[in-house]
Amino acid sequence: MSELIKDTPISCIRRLPADAVNRIAAGEVVERPAAAAKELIENALDAGAKHVRILIEGGGLSRMVIEDDGKGMTVEELPIAIERHATSKLQPDDEGHIDLLNIHTLGFRGEALPSIGSVSRMTITSRAKGADEANELRIEGGVVEGPMPAAWTGLSESGTRIEVRDLFYATPARLKFMKSERAETMALTDTVKRLAMANADIGFVLESNGRKVINLAPEQGAFEEARLKRLGAIMGKEFRENACEIDAERDGVFVTGFAGLPTLNRGNAQHQYLFVNGRPVKDRLLTGVIRAAYQDFLARDRHPMAALFVDLHPEMVDVNVHPAKTEVRFRDAGNVRGLLIGSLRHTLAAAGHRASTTVAGDALGRVITETQARQAELHMEGSEGAGPSQATAYQAGTSVLQSTMGRSSGSETWRPPINETQRAGFQESGVPHYEGQSGAFEATADMSARIEPNEMETPQARELSRFPLGVARAQLHETYIVSQTDDGIVIVDQHAAHERLVYERMKKQMKFDGVKRQALLIPEIVELSEDEAMRVLARAEELQELGLEIEPFGVGCIAVRATPALFGEMDAQGLIKDLADDLVEYDAGLALKEHFEEVMGNMACRGSVRAGRRLTGEEMNSLLRQMEDTPHSGQCNHGRPTYVELKLADIERLFGRR
Amino acid sequence: MKLTIDRGAFMKALSHVQNVVERRNTIPILSNVLIDAEGTSLRLTATDLDMEASDTTIAHIEKAGSITAPAQTLFDVVRKLPDGSDIGLLLDTETRRLTITAGRSRFALPTLPADDFQTMSKEDAPNSFEIPAADFRRLIDKTKFAISTEETRYYLNGVYMHGTEVGGSVKLRAVATDGHRLALAEADAPKGAETLPGIIIPRKAVAEIRRLLDDAAQDSDVSVATSESKIVVKVGDAVITSKLIDGSFPDYTRVIPQSNAKILVLKNSEFKSAVDRVATVSAERSRSVKLTLENEKLILQVSNAETGQGVEELEAQYNDDPLEIGFNARYLLDVTQQIEGDDIRFELNDGASSARVTDLADQGAQYVLMPLRV
Repeated sequence: MSELIKDTPISCIRRLPADAVNRIAAGEVVERPAAAAKELIENALDAGAKHVRILIEGGGLSRMVIEDDGKGMTVEELPIAIERHATSKLQPDDEGHIDLLNIHTLGFRGEALPSIGSVSRMTITSRAKGADEANELRIEGGVVEGPMPAAWTGLSESGTRIEVRDLFYATPARLKFMKSERAETMALTDTVKRLAMANADIGFVLESNGRKVINLAPEQGAFEEARLKRLGAIMGKEFRENACEIDAERDGVFVTGFAGLPTLNRGNAQHQYLFVNGRPVKDRLLTGVIRAAYQDFLARDRHPMAALFVDLHPEMVDVNVHPAKTEVRFRDAGNVRGLLIGSLRHTLAAAGHRASTTVAGDALGRVITETQARQAELHMEGSEGAGPSQATAYQAGTSVLQSTMGRSSGSETWRPPINETQRAGFQESGVPHYEGQSGAFEATADMSARIEPNEMETPQARELSRFPLGVARAQLHETYIVSQTDDGIVIVDQHAAHERLVYERMKKQMKFDGVKRQALLIPEIVELSEDEAMRVLARAEELQELGLEIEPFGVGCIAVRATPALFGEMDAQGLIKDLADDLVEYDAGLALKEHFEEVMGNMACRGSVRAGRRLTGEEMNSLLRQMEDTPHSGQCNHGRPTYVELKLADIERLFGRR
Repeated sequence: MKLTIDRGAFMKALSHVQNVVERRNTIPILSNVLIDAEGTSLRLTATDLDMEASDTTIAHIEKAGSITAPAQTLFDVVRKLPDGSDIGLLLDTETRRLTITAGRSRFALPTLPADDFQTMSKEDAPNSFEIPAADFRRLIDKTKFAISTEETRYYLNGVYMHGTEVGGSVKLRAVATDGHRLALAEADAPKGAETLPGIIIPRKAVAEIRRLLDDAAQDSDVSVATSESKIVVKVGDAVITSKLIDGSFPDYTRVIPQSNAKILVLKNSEFKSAVDRVATVSAERSRSVKLTLENEKLILQVSNAETGQGVEELEAQYNDDPLEIGFNARYLLDVTQQIEGDDIRFELNDGASSARVTDLADQGAQYVLMPLRV
């Protein structure tokens, strides 16, 4: 080795040639096809395109075409466009200064085109608005040819068409680092999706090897409506049906977008999107914010879906952190975080007891497949003689009945109507009347299903039916409450629902009474790294409110003086270390709150009505009314739903009426 | 192996060892008790690898031998046999089953070879002493309630014992703490215990030793021998050998407040029942009780937004500045259980610092409680 070094001639400092500079820049900006596509699509968007079409072959490496119907470039503009740091997007002010802090367009660095041009074979064809003809420019490994007149085959009268072939052919080292065609296609698709989410009014088409992967027409309608449609088109119909709108503002920072209900959750955080001033951003801030906002409702390993749009004055955010602009830096990150968490929580609270329709949908889906399976079976047997169509209908019917009525056959669950005196008693008191107070109780004692008499005819009942969760009609298996609403039925898991009610009540009480702190005889000394300790100590005040008293103890050490009394004896060491990790990862001390939730969750579980306990009608209705009044009662502490709603339309679909 | 033994004697010996056996085991032989028959005595041994208990009793042995059999089943069978019956034990060499006969009852239990049974290695015990059973029992009783159950602080999961000089006389001290409160009891150090270096006896061993002490004869002595890693306690024929907790117990003397000037003296029984009553309305697990001290008066108060309020007023000997301090009701109750005399005495400083509690009838015991803060 030493000989090698000796043999190397000592060189003097020289300026790098332009193409080398561009290749270096390409390494930063364009690290893979998806990044190149992002730069080119952003250019199209900045040019005012209404439609963007992307064609790729071989994951974008062998060929990539980006077409737009924007304003296009004139023959004079074309050659400048591919010069480094040439951009139409930063206009100097009167004194000739350019304000990098005041950026309104997506791109601005002027690096994209020359960078891509220096590592590929690129053809730019553009027709400016109002121009008679199109012009073309060819760049091969940084060598420019043109501009020259060219035929125009673009999307509309004006626009630009950029074709990139053999990306990275000029940098074989980079080429070696490309992942499989599939992986590159996926990354590119993800990029297009993110851009499409941020630009609902623009149409996007992505074709990979001739197959349409994305086909999104410009969404019509009001802004929020169009955006939700677009999000639904990308994140799935479920998201569209189970998203709550977010709209908040603080100190000039606006947060809009949609957050999914906690019951709509996923195993990973891939379906969480953040956009800052219309720019898709991957920032760990989002992960922390979302976890903090949903931590009441979801287990640690479940992730909600959300698309959040932060808009703020360009001076308040630095997008020039990373060449690919996937990271941003907020001037006041604390405010943005606080606003995001606050608005998410607020929205979730407003969503109240709403549970995701996916749950009912799932159940329904299962019932339907089961029915279909039976039908298939029956068709097989049908050849033996019996009228297949009749038998099928019958089977489908019982299957549904069994699913909804808890496996008891129809005739068993029927109860004769109550007698007239009881009905009169009910009308006087104005409280729905239930069996179980009379002799009818004995008849039902050994049954797991209890049916409440139908009171829908009375005015009181009609009033009751206005409640979102309806009127309790029956308790099945001493576990599930079935209630009737105006347009469907609701099945409530009594234990999960009551547990949530108790938990919410405890939370309220803790807020009211304050957190008791058990002082420690011997302070627990926790050793951390110096910056971890500083980070935890910076939050000492916040932690004290939650019952954890800490103070500095030499370099990198923290002394724990008191712990939340609710926890009893606890592992303070472990907790502080978890907190330190959380602060690094999410910039929020989640561990302590999570511990609280766990302890309170367990207490709530013990303090609530179990499955298997028989409830009277009054108890059932009271539970339903409390659920309506309690925020977040639609899911238990782990994000599972506390109730499922089946709309009449769904039921009709089950019976093939629709 | 073949022998006959009185049911009562067998039962007592089994009860001294069977508790050591863990209910669930991954190593099958750990569920078994080792039975050694030799000469005129039957010896039973059980282990969980961290501690070992054995007891010896007289039996009529026809044929010596050793075998292991399931401890729980054997104990349950013997327990259910009528008192006063003679029990016959026979190892069937062909089926390798242990037959238990009594009157018309007959049981055959599966066995495992005695050679596979792990016994604890014997080692030199440089420190040994004899202590009156009553003293040893008191040291354990007054401290074991404060043992920590938090596994991460393993060094608090036991009772710390050491010999030390206190005010001119040499004492044997027992200390336990869970970080929220501390209990300390001392007795005159018997010969040999004066220089006992600090040892931490694990919670399970403390409980088993305490059980043995229940059966110790009146005015009898217990022999204790310790090495760096083990303790051997002999009560009559029963022997418990346990590993010690390998850790350093914190310097507890520093947390015992010495200069708390505000003195509160209460009738213990009144105080105990008053705390118990007001704590009824503290639903939360922290069970916080607020103590308000005024001239010759103590007010106990619990208030909870959800469960309501409870107030008790007690006569007290107190004539210092008014003071408010909160405690966990359970900790207060635990301490009142230890008080033997009529009065309980608190030494206090302010609402944020620890309280020292003593028993006027037993100066050899003291307790420290940390307050709750809001």
